[in-house]
Amino acid sequence: MSDDRIIGKRMPRKEDARLLTGRGTFVDDVVLPGMLHVAFVRSTIARGRIRSLDVSQARDLPGVLAVLTAEDLDPFNVKLLSFFFVAPMAVPVPLLARHTVAHVGEPVAMVVAQDRYIAEDAASLVTVVYEEEEPVVSLADARRSAPIHAGMESNVAAVMGLEKDENLEEALASAPYLLTRTVRHQRISQSPMETRGVVATKQGDELLIYVTCQSPHLVSRYVSLALDRPELSVRIIAKDVGGAFGLKNHPWREEMSVIVGSVLLGRPLKWIEDRWENLVAANQAREQEMTVRVAFDRTGKLLASHCDYHLNNGAYPQGAEANIAVQMFIWAAYKIPQFGFLTRGWHTNTIGNGAYRGPWGMESLARETLLDIAARELGIDPIEIRRRNLITAADQPCTTLMGMPLEDITPAECLDKLLEVVDIPAFRAEQSAARMAGRHTGLGLAVYIEPTGAAGQMAPMTGETAHLRIEPTGKVTALMSTHSQGHGTQSTMAQVIADQLGVAYEDVTVFEGDSSRGGFGPGAAGSRQGVIGGGACRRAAALLKDKVKRVAAHILEADPDKVSLESGRVVVAGAADKTRTLRQIAEIAYGEPARLPPGTESGLEAQYRYDPPPVTFTSAAHACVVEIDADTGFVKIKRWVSCEDCGTIINPAIVEGQIAGGLAQAIGCVLLEEAGYDARGNPLAVTYKDYLLPAISDVPDFEYLHACTPSKSEGGFRGVGEGGAIIGPPTLINAIADALAPFGEVPLDLPLTPVKILEVIEGRSLRGTNGTTTATTQQEVGCPAPSAPQAPPAAPVVSSAGIIDGSWNMVLATPMGPQKVVGRFTTEGEVLKGVLESDQGSQDFSGTVTGNRLKWEMKVTKPIPITLKYDLSVEGGKLAGKLKMGLFGSANVTGARA
Amino acid sequence: MSEHRIELTLNGDRHQATVEGRKTLCDFLRADMGCTGVHIGCEHGVCGACTVIVDGLAVRSCLMLAVQVDGCEVTTVEGLTGSDGALHPVQQALRDEHGLQCGFCTPGIVMTLAALTQASGQTYADSLLEAMSGHVCRCTGYQGIRRAALELAASTEPNKA
Amino acid sequence: MKPAPFDYYRPRSVAQACQLLAEAAGCAAVLAGGQTLMPLLALRMSQPLVIVDINKIDALTGVTGVSQGIRIGPVVRQNEIIANEVLRRSLPVLVSATRHVGHHQTRNRGTLGGSIALGEPAAELPAAAVALGAAIEVRSIRGTRRIPADEMYLAPYATALESDELITAIEFPDWPGHSVPLFREVARRPGDFALVGLVGMLTIESGRISRVGVTWFGMGPTPMKARRAEAALQGQSVAGLDIQGIAELAIVDTAAFDDRHASAEYRRTVGRRIFAQSLREALDVREAA
Repeated sequence: MSDDRIIGKRMPRKEDARLLTGRGTFVDDVVLPGMLHVAFVRSTIARGRIRSLDVSQARDLPGVLAVLTAEDLDPFNVKLLSFFFVAPMAVPVPLLARHTVAHVGEPVAMVVAQDRYIAEDAASLVTVVYEEEEPVVSLADARRSAPIHAGMESNVAAVMGLEKDENLEEALASAPYLLTRTVRHQRISQSPMETRGVVATKQGDELLIYVTCQSPHLVSRYVSLALDRPELSVRIIAKDVGGAFGLKNHPWREEMSVIVGSVLLGRPLKWIEDRWENLVAANQAREQEMTVRVAFDRTGKLLASHCDYHLNNGAYPQGAEANIAVQMFIWAAYKIPQFGFLTRGWHTNTIGNGAYRGPWGMESLARETLLDIAARELGIDPIEIRRRNLITAADQPCTTLMGMPLEDITPAECLDKLLEVVDIPAFRAEQSAARMAGRHTGLGLAVYIEPTGAAGQMAPMTGETAHLRIEPTGKVTALMSTHSQGHGTQSTMAQVIADQLGVAYEDVTVFEGDSSRGGFGPGAAGSRQGVIGGGACRRAAALLKDKVKRVAAHILEADPDKVSLESGRVVVAGAADKTRTLRQIAEIAYGEPARLPPGTESGLEAQYRYDPPPVTFTSAAHACVVEIDADTGFVKIKRWVSCEDCGTIINPAIVEGQIAGGLAQAIGCVLLEEAGYDARGNPLAVTYKDYLLPAISDVPDFEYLHACTPSKSEGGFRGVGEGGAIIGPPTLINAIADALAPFGEVPLDLPLTPVKILEVIEGRSLRGTNGTTTATTQQEVGCPAPSAPQAPPAAPVVSSAGIIDGSWNMVLATPMGPQKVVGRFTTEGEVLKGVLESDQGSQDFSGTVTGNRLKWEMKVTKPIPITLKYDLSVEGGKLAGKLKMGLFGSANVTGARA
Repeated sequence: MSEHRIELTLNGDRHQATVEGRKTLCDFLRADMGCTGVHIGCEHGVCGACTVIVDGLAVRSCLMLAVQVDGCEVTTVEGLTGSDGALHPVQQALRDEHGLQCGFCTPGIVMTLAALTQASGQTYADSLLEAMSGHVCRCTGYQGIRRAALELAASTEPNKA
Repeated sequence: MKPAPFDYYRPRSVAQACQLLAEAAGCAAVLAGGQTLMPLLALRMSQPLVIVDINKIDALTGVTGVSQGIRIGPVVRQNEIIANEVLRRSLPVLVSATRHVGHHQTRNRGTLGGSIALGEPAAELPAAAVALGAAIEVRSIRGTRRIPADEMYLAPYATALESDELITAIEFPDWPGHSVPLFREVARRPGDFALVGLVGMLTIESGRISRVGVTWFGMGPTPMKARRAEAALQGQSVAGLDIQGIAELAIVDTAAFDDRHASAEYRRTVGRRIFAQSLREALDVREAA
């Protein structure tokens, strides 16, 4: 890479000048004339009915404008959609609680006052009388309890993979070596340093909303859909966002309540979440259990695996979630002949599940820790066991069992590169010596792949847009659909643009953060902005560069192929006298259109919406060394090396910053953080005294290696935002397990507190009550048992046509949430013909009819190419059955006549 | 509830104000004095984002009442930049070492480092790093913050003055 | 998280402060460093009607030698204790303990008196006061009294202070200059709650332990004086001490509890170890000297 390339350089960030001097604009910095302040009254119990709600005293407090309840906001008919713009069918989410509360912290009333102090005073005067009910809190509770939500059959929020695969069970049962472990992950609070917040005002038919978010464009689309008021223009502004990590993907109950409140009251309203609210009432993530069975042969080759996964969805998740992505990625980078799963999300009386950096991270956590355990038990080197099973360059292109095409993953190569700087034999020698001296050091490593830059398969995951212009001044302006919450996209996108247009980095200005500029993008969700935003910048810059060349060639009477852009100038090869500044060319392009090539649009503006390949994989291998204090069970991280293949790097400092931030969160996950509940559903960590975030003393100096295999996407970029948070935890756990191997196995039960670690060392329980719970053996209530295909009932006398023909409103319980489709069926004897219509279009099909049973197959290409197999029956005028989605398992289908 | 007249010197300028007894210093600085560079991260004194300098000492402004700075000299991050716009050495060090991402925790960190490095004599790396343990950053993993602190300590060594 | 309304006063004298406390009849809170009180106000866990800010009462500052001891004003900042030459020389263990309190920024405001008055079970300074045999001077409109530190702490966050009383000084008795400090805190990071800790001093004269005071923090509802261990050490010859046995005795005088951060058995297991290690180190130091 030549020295004057801007790509690949540690350019200082453009954001820093304002952020270092306190001149950023975060949502709480926004002040509008006449603005009022909101505080919420929140449920103090986890479950119950609201018997009475008395706001009169609060309303009478001087300085209070209004105290709003569900009654006031419900007429707006707001639909709280998921990230995929789907409204929850089974469990609609209210803005403010109506007659029941389903978790501690649920917003019950909204006080609007002249300042936040008075608003909180008033909130404390609202009297709510509850009729408390027995809360369902843990996953174990959810499995054995009656449903917490009316109208549901059980607490299952989402389920996939119900059908038992007899072949798989046989393979597992007959395996030479079968490893079974249950991995438990605690509930995590994303806890960005800036909490949620919103300022909303209605100005005529214009809704102006300042909100701390991950994409103003996505929020704008969300608000439009949620409010369904097409006459309103919605503008979302977010200049600076203090971190998000998945919490701020889209507005939720409080934000929408404030927006609706501002419309209702006709006044600008501000709500800034305080930290107590953030730890109690903001959606959280990651409370999971997974029982993994992995079969190996005696040489450590993978034969088969099954996962039984549970995710605590809370009462009102941001989209009912069984986290199918865990199953899609757990063995994706490894060669494995057979795999199956059962994955369930459960409702409980706790705060709802939301996204957190690398939401499917359990896949790497479980896999990499179990591989080490298997290696230990089989007497195989942990690196060897990986080498025997990893997909290498020579194995690609290939397709995973779950149907994902792989062509350029490099986990094995990252591992090789990592081992060039991590001398394992030397470490083992040191470790032996240390053990003799009573010191316990350990080394752990982990390998993974991560899907990044996803686009084109799911509603919000579009391409990204760059609107570029070379101004008449010769400077470059870019309006991006990307949005930074610390990602530095104002800088990285400027680097890409400057590199392409041959201008100085300082001469490129990137604007983001306003839905009135640029185009739709989902923002930082799924490590995508570098890949897709970078690609958009390159393509738009290419268009612009081409135009500059054509225009300059015409004006200068030169051959366009001899024109190039460098250092802010337009240069003609072999004609030094024809050199012009970009400004000179731009002034002509805007101000003297008559001098342009005939038919050329004046100005120098170009726009490109880039759609990358469906997914771009990033691979990595990490290693860390720990020392464990045998007296206290404290873990000290001595060294951490990351080898990431994130393709072409735009700015190494920013890439390393993303990795480091993710690794710090990984360290927090493994050792420190826990947002838990007591048996009554009361949150246990309501301040930072109890929710322990990693501090500077918890993180080592990270070392970085970069394997830079350019990706197939424009520019060769790969995403890096979530990686550290996914690969970090197993790397650290493996190091701890290695250190404690002489004492015993480390339980896969996060967080690994000093108590749990000391228990392994002492070889006895240090907890009064039995700390770790074994999987419940109690009867699971209401969860449909895996079913074998049943023989159809005897055909009734009524003709099939009469029962089936016509239009049906159907709901498919897919991984993305419930999908509404309309099915129109026509039967002729045993032949079924029909069409399925949805928002995404319509598709014809044909199949078979037997009595009241209809079956057909359809091939689809999104999210991946699979064959969908429908098997439905009509009974009592209702349609019901299953949709088998390849290895995704089955989804329930229900329908009623349209 | 009581109201109080206070006078303070803020970023070199003298101000007077009337404040409620219960108003916190951080809310006063942000809302009444326009110093939105003072960020509120937790309101219970753990995260350090609200750190300002009162009479030469780095303190958590969420743990003081506005009325308590009557007669005091207060400096916020807005008061650090030179009149020519030049970055304070602490700000420059953080910039050079990529010590920030979202920037929300940054002003607090800047103020602690500024308070410690402006005290006379040598600033030891140990004391800067120990003071950094009083700040929470969720974005950077502290890598650049640590490097900046070490660089600042090195730059105050007597033979480098 | 905004405080509920209150009336704020900033008296200039101890007498004024006591008057205000008396008039408030139990509805007042004393504001010193504010590092603990402000979060309680923000969470509305404490809703006093009156706040009495004692930060500007000169009589409550200062570190002075008195007959056979050192008198420290309650409003002396924790960072001032750490920097104080007299204390570094004469009460090094108090300085060590104070270094572990909170963070640099909280120690710029946090006071000795505030920590002494709060009585947090895992706090260093109340335990140091108990270990070193300090006395707490306290005043109200009814007069002045002295509370020995080991009678001060009744339950978590509950002390022998009446609601109208103000701490006016904490007096530490002199210990011989060659006394050896004992301090060990088990906390995961600087400023975290101690999971378990011990603080104290011992004096060795002619090969015998002539004076000893050791107190646990984080091992019970209050600072826990290791009385049995002290008794076992008192007067003993340093040579041939059964250190493990004394560590066991030290654990007997604890009431370790389970909480979010550690279990009772963890505390006892680790406590036993750190007691033995600290004692061994203290005696080695002495022998080396």
